[in-house]
Amino acid sequence: MAESVKVLPNEIQELIEIREWDMRTRKGVDRFRELKARSLPSVALDGTLMYESLIPGQEELIAEIERRFKAKNP
Amino acid sequence: MEQNNEFASYVFHTQGVCPPEIHFRLSGEDTVHQVRFVGGGCPGNALLVSRLVDGKPMNAIIEYLSGIECRNATSCPDQLARAFAAVKKGDLQPAATFKVAEDTVSRARICFIGNLDGNLEVLTALLHAVKYEHVHAVYGVGNLTGLSEQNDNVVSMINKHKIQAIAGQLDWQYAQRKEAAPLAPLSLKNRDVLLRLPQVLVFQIGDQKGMAFYGRYIQDLQGYSDFAPFALEMNMVCDLTRFMKDESVFPALEAMTPQFTVRLVVFSERGEWKHHDVGGVMFLGIGSAYENGFINWGILENTADGLKYQVRKTPFSPE
Repeated sequence: MAESVKVLPNEIQELIEIREWDMRTRKGVDRFRELKARSLPSVALDGTLMYESLIPGQEELIAEIERRFKAKNP
Repeated sequence: MEQNNEFASYVFHTQGVCPPEIHFRLSGEDTVHQVRFVGGGCPGNALLVSRLVDGKPMNAIIEYLSGIECRNATSCPDQLARAFAAVKKGDLQPAATFKVAEDTVSRARICFIGNLDGNLEVLTALLHAVKYEHVHAVYGVGNLTGLSEQNDNVVSMINKHKIQAIAGQLDWQYAQRKEAAPLAPLSLKNRDVLLRLPQVLVFQIGDQKGMAFYGRYIQDLQGYSDFAPFALEMNMVCDLTRFMKDESVFPALEAMTPQFTVRLVVFSERGEWKHHDVGGVMFLGIGSAYENGFINWGILENTADGLKYQVRKTPFSPE
């Protein structure tokens, strides 16, 4: 899942900050539970769980990131 | 629970003296703390040595201790000096955060005993009942001790019957001499027995490898690493699934089990009997040895159809 985020075009990468959590660690598990996630891999945007198990298509992910960016920067 | 990360803990295996192990901690460059001669010897003399060296620099102590003879051309103080010398030479490394023991014999039928809580009557009744189970190994995976005056007798009986036990949280507190106030005193000998118990027991049943542990206190031990052997299994049970109570995260657990090093995970902190098969791993929660008028134990058997697990119980009236 992290790969699908890391391969986003540079102009999208510049809009976001990526954090990856290691589920083997207690910190990673804590974050997973905070997000109320249930399965792996999971992707959260702005602290909200958005995708679980299914890896979103790049177009869908880009559209969601742009929508959120525009909402914060009208 | 000790959580000071400035300490390094050491275990030295002695030669030629009564106690088989010396445990101690070093802080800073070489300041000595909490020396314990474990498993035998003269308790008074051992305590004297421990108090005299506490807080002193290791280098300054060595010359006073080395060369003292008691038997076999050595002594407890001399062995302690040799332990310090081994640290200085780099021959003795800090001990692992938690102790792992392995039953190297592949078993066909195993009995699990949960929290005994220092109940001698229950242990006696259990051992009697288990005699008819024809098991190849009995593993004690819960607290041996509890709010009981019989803790000494329970620990002695476990030791006498050579039951492979792991340290529960209360057992560990007793071993560290840090038990909470309402808990009854325990003899030094049995504290040493508890100190030498492992936190993790690795076992083999048929061609499957398993591990048993008590629970969350192991994660609080000084220097615990998420990447230590068996930490992944413990993190998944304790934190991700909250001792297998939160089934909503089982899909995530299923994604993690391919990284496990065992196919059976046994735990006992919750004192509840549980059995889940997730991602090709069997998870067994071991309940209390005595509950609601029954004594309970778990039987895990390797059969032609694979592993079979059953919780057994029989009525029991404590006197």
